[in-house]
Amino acid sequence: MIWRYIAKHVAKVVLLGTLIGVSIYVTFVLLTKGMYVPAAMPLIGSVSIAYIFLTEKRYPLRWLVPGLIFLIVMVVYPIGYTVVSSFTNVGTGHMLAKDQAIDQLLDRSFAPADALSYTFTVFAKNANNDLALLLESGEERILYLHGEATAVAVDDPRLIDDDGDGEPDRFTDFARLSIPQIVPMLSTLETYRIEFESKTIGLESLTEFRTRTPTYVYDADAETMIDQQTGIVYTALEGIFTDQNGEEIYPGYKVKVGIRNYINLLTNPRIAGPFAMVFLWTFAFAFLTVLLNFGLGLSTAILLNDPYLRFRTLYRVVMIIPYAIPAFVTILVWRGMLNQHFGIINKMIVSSARMIDSAVNYIAVHGFNTTAVLFGDVSKIGWLADGTLAKISVLLVNLWLGYPYMMLICLGALQSIPKSLYEAARVDGASWWQQFRNITLPLLLMPLAPLLVGAFAFNFNNFTLIWLLTEGRPAIAGATTPAGQTDILLSYTYRLAFEGARGNQLGLAAAVATVIFVIIATISAINFRMTGALEELSKNV
Amino acid sequence: MKERIKEVCIGGSKRFTQGSCFKEALTMKRVSLVLLGLLLITGLVVTASEAGKLLIWADDTRTPIMLKVAKDFTAAYGVEVVVQELDFGGMRGQLATAGPAGEGPDILIGAHDWLGELILNGLIEPVILTPAIIADFNPVAIDAFSWGNLLYGVPYATENVALVRNTDLVPEAPTTFEELLTVAAALTDLDAGEYGFLIQEPDPFHTFALHTAGGGYIFGKDADGVLDPCDLGLDNAGSIAGAILLDQMVKDGIEIAGAGYNEVTGAFNSGKLGMMIGGPWTLPGAKAEGINYAISAIPPINGNAPGVFVGVQGFMISAFSDNKVLANLFIKDFLISTDVMLGLYIEGDRPPAYLPALAFLAGNEDIQGFAAAAATAVPMPKIAEMNSVWSSWSNALELIVNQTQDPTTAMQDAAAEIRALLGCD
Repeated sequence: MIWRYIAKHVAKVVLLGTLIGVSIYVTFVLLTKGMYVPAAMPLIGSVSIAYIFLTEKRYPLRWLVPGLIFLIVMVVYPIGYTVVSSFTNVGTGHMLAKDQAIDQLLDRSFAPADALSYTFTVFAKNANNDLALLLESGEERILYLHGEATAVAVDDPRLIDDDGDGEPDRFTDFARLSIPQIVPMLSTLETYRIEFESKTIGLESLTEFRTRTPTYVYDADAETMIDQQTGIVYTALEGIFTDQNGEEIYPGYKVKVGIRNYINLLTNPRIAGPFAMVFLWTFAFAFLTVLLNFGLGLSTAILLNDPYLRFRTLYRVVMIIPYAIPAFVTILVWRGMLNQHFGIINKMIVSSARMIDSAVNYIAVHGFNTTAVLFGDVSKIGWLADGTLAKISVLLVNLWLGYPYMMLICLGALQSIPKSLYEAARVDGASWWQQFRNITLPLLLMPLAPLLVGAFAFNFNNFTLIWLLTEGRPAIAGATTPAGQTDILLSYTYRLAFEGARGNQLGLAAAVATVIFVIIATISAINFRMTGALEELSKNV
Repeated sequence: MKERIKEVCIGGSKRFTQGSCFKEALTMKRVSLVLLGLLLITGLVVTASEAGKLLIWADDTRTPIMLKVAKDFTAAYGVEVVVQELDFGGMRGQLATAGPAGEGPDILIGAHDWLGELILNGLIEPVILTPAIIADFNPVAIDAFSWGNLLYGVPYATENVALVRNTDLVPEAPTTFEELLTVAAALTDLDAGEYGFLIQEPDPFHTFALHTAGGGYIFGKDADGVLDPCDLGLDNAGSIAGAILLDQMVKDGIEIAGAGYNEVTGAFNSGKLGMMIGGPWTLPGAKAEGINYAISAIPPINGNAPGVFVGVQGFMISAFSDNKVLANLFIKDFLISTDVMLGLYIEGDRPPAYLPALAFLAGNEDIQGFAAAAATAVPMPKIAEMNSVWSSWSNALELIVNQTQDPTTAMQDAAAEIRALLGCD
C-alpha cells in the first residue's frame, strides 16, 4: 500500500518535473528567437498543470484540464488569432513579417559591371567540420579560413601540390575535396559571406563564387529601401516599400490597419452589395433547415415510438442510414442526381410523365376519340440551375442529411416522458393533438432547445453542404460582386476573400469571420435566454 | 494554433529531426494529447527544409518519378533527397504558411499561373539558366515562367485543351466550327442521352477558345509587354461574339446546362459523346474505357483560329530554402535531361516543355494533336489579378448556359464586376 503510494507520487513528480523541464527549455529557445508571447505560453501552461496536480484542493480541475487545454488550443486560440488578424492587412503580398520581408530584400544582389567571378577549391579536415577555401580570380587569390579572408601567394608553402599538376592538393593538413565531395557541403558554403578588401563574396554555384552587391540598402530610421542600381528611394507604405510613382517592391509585409477591414465591410459597395441578400438567405436557410429537420425528425420519432408499429427496429435502422454515410459522399451523389440533363431525378420525371401521357392518350383515343395530353413535353427541371429551385434543393438535401439526427434525439427524449402523464391526459379526455400540444412538445423542447440552437448555429455556417452541392450557384444576375443564389455568408466571404482582388484578402476574411462569430454568439445567447434552456438545464442537473 | 505547436516542436532545435522532437513532446503528458490530436486532424507531419538535405514537394503524379530521380542524385552526390507528396491544389497555400515558418520545401513542382501570387508573397526565388539551356525549352513555357526579366522556374510540361473526338462517331476532324456544329447537331439526341459536342460549363478555361476567335482576350498588354489588369477584354466584341455563339449552341440544344467535368468526361468515356473540348487529363479515362479517340485543333470560327490557354508546369525554388545552390544544382544538372523529362511525361501524359524530350515523341499522335491546338495558344495569365476573373466569368457563362441572362449583358456585367474588384472603374 505504502509502496503504491510512494510510486504514485514519484511518478507524479517525475512526470511533472519533466513537463516543467521541457517547457523551460522550449521557453528558453523561443526567447532566444525573440518570440516573447509564445515563450510565456508553455511556462504558464506547465506551471498551472503542476499546480492543479499537486494541490488536493484543485482535485476536480484535474478532470477538466484535458478539456480545457483542447478548448484553449482548438477554440479560444483560433478565435483570438482571427480577431487579431482582422485588424491587419494580411493577404497576398502581405504574408511575411516585416523583418522577414526586409531580410529577403536585403538578400537580393545584382552584378555590377565590375563584378568578379572566382573559381574555388575546398580543403577539409576533421570529417569536413573544418574548411579552408581558396578563391581565385585572375591574379587575385584569397584564402578563407576560420572566418578570416587573407590574400595568398601562388607559391605559399601551406599549399602543397603532391602530384605536380599545378593544382594544390592539400592546404597544410587539410585535404582537397573533389566536386562530388563538395556537393553535400554546398549548403554550408552558401552561408559564407566572405569580406575581402571591401568586397562581399558569396557562393554562386558548384563551381563559382561571386562578388555580391546588395540591390537595396535599408535605412531603419526613415524606413526606406534605397535601390543601389537606380538610386530610387522606396518608402514603407502600409506594409510595402513604394516609390513616389507608386511602384512597389515585393514582398510586402503584415501591418496593423486598425478597423479598416470592418469599415470596408460595411461601407464598400463592392463588398456590401449582395451582402443583405446573402444575409437573409443564410438566416432563412439555417432557420428552415432546423424547422424542417426537426419537424420530420419528430414526426418519424413519434411514429417509430408507437409500440403497435411492426418492424420498428428495421425502420429505425433504415432511417438512420443517411446519417451513417459521410455527408460529403451523400452531397456529391445528390449533386449528380439533381443534374438537369444527366441526373436520374429528371430522367425519372420525364419518363414517368411520358408514360402517363401515353396511357392517358391511349384511354382518350379508345374511349372518347380525342387526344388528351396531360403533361405535354415535360422539360427537364433545373434543380440546381434555377435560383428558387436551387434553394429548395439545398433545403431538401440538408433535410435528408439532418433529419436522422433529429429523429434520434427525439426518440431518446420521447422515451423519457413518463407514460403516466399520457394516461392521466387520456382519463381527462384529451385528444391526441391536445396530448401532443400540451405534454409531448413542451417536455421535448425543454431538453432539446439547446440542441436546436446548436443545429441553427451549425447550419448558419454549413459551408460543406453549400460548397459541395451548389458552390453557391446559380449566379445572381447583375450583382456587383460575384455572388450566387445559394451562397451563405461563409461561402460568400470565402469567394470574397479567396477569389477576389489580387489573391487572398485574409485580413478581410478574418473581419467577416469575426462578424459572423459575433452574430452567432448573440443569436445563441438570446435563444438560450428566451427558451430558458440553460436555466431548465441547470434545474435538471 | 498550428503555429504554436510548430514552434514548440521545431523551435525546440533545428538540429532535431521531426522524430526526436516528437519524442520530446511525448513526455509532455497532456500537451502530447493535443499534438496527437493535431496530427490526426492535419493528417500530415510537415517535414522541414534542412541544410544539406533537399526536400521536394510534389503531387501524386509527380512523386513516383521524383523518388527515382532523387535516388540517382543521392547515389551520385551523397545528398539525401526527401520527396513529400502534397495535394496539387493545396500546395500554394501550404507554402505560404510553411515557407516563412522555416518549414517549407527547397523545391516544389507547380503551375506557372501560381507565379504572381508566389512572387508577391516573396515565396520563390529566380532560377538562372544559360541562354543555351533556355533555347532547349519551348519558348511559350519559358515565357510562362518568366516574370519581368527573371525566370522563376524550370518548366517541364505544357498542357492545353484541344478538340477530342470519338473516332467511331466522328471519323473526320471537322475543318470549320460551323461544320463541327452541323456534325454535333446530327449526333445529338438529348432523350437518348447522346451528345454531339460538349464544352464543360461553367468553365472559362474550356470556353476561352470561343471568345478568342473573334478577338476576345482577358488582359491586354501595356507598352512594355506587361499584362495590364485594367485593360480587360472580356466585354469586347470578340468576347461577346463567343458568348453569343455559346448561347446559340444552347438554344440549338447542342450545349446543355449542368455539363460539368464529370458529366462531360463520363459521357465521352461511355461512348455517348462525339466531341468535347478536353485536355491531356481526360485521356487516361478514355483509354481505360477503350474509346477510340483522336485529338485535333479546335477548328476556325468564322475563319478565325481560336486561341486556347496553355498551362505550364515546372520546378520552383523556395525563397526560404537553406539549400538554394544545391537546389539549383539538382534542377539544372539532374532534372534538365531527356531521361527525366521523358519519365515525367510517362507519369503525367503532358507534352514535355524540354524540346529534346519532345523530339522523342514526334510520332505520338496525342502530343501532335495537342501541339496543333497550341499553335495559337496564350499562356494563362499569371498575374495575381487573375484571381478576380474566374468567378465573375464563370458566373456569366452559367447565366448564359442556364438561359437566365442574354449573353451580351452577362459578359458586360462580368467585366464590370471584375473592374470593380480590381479597382479599375
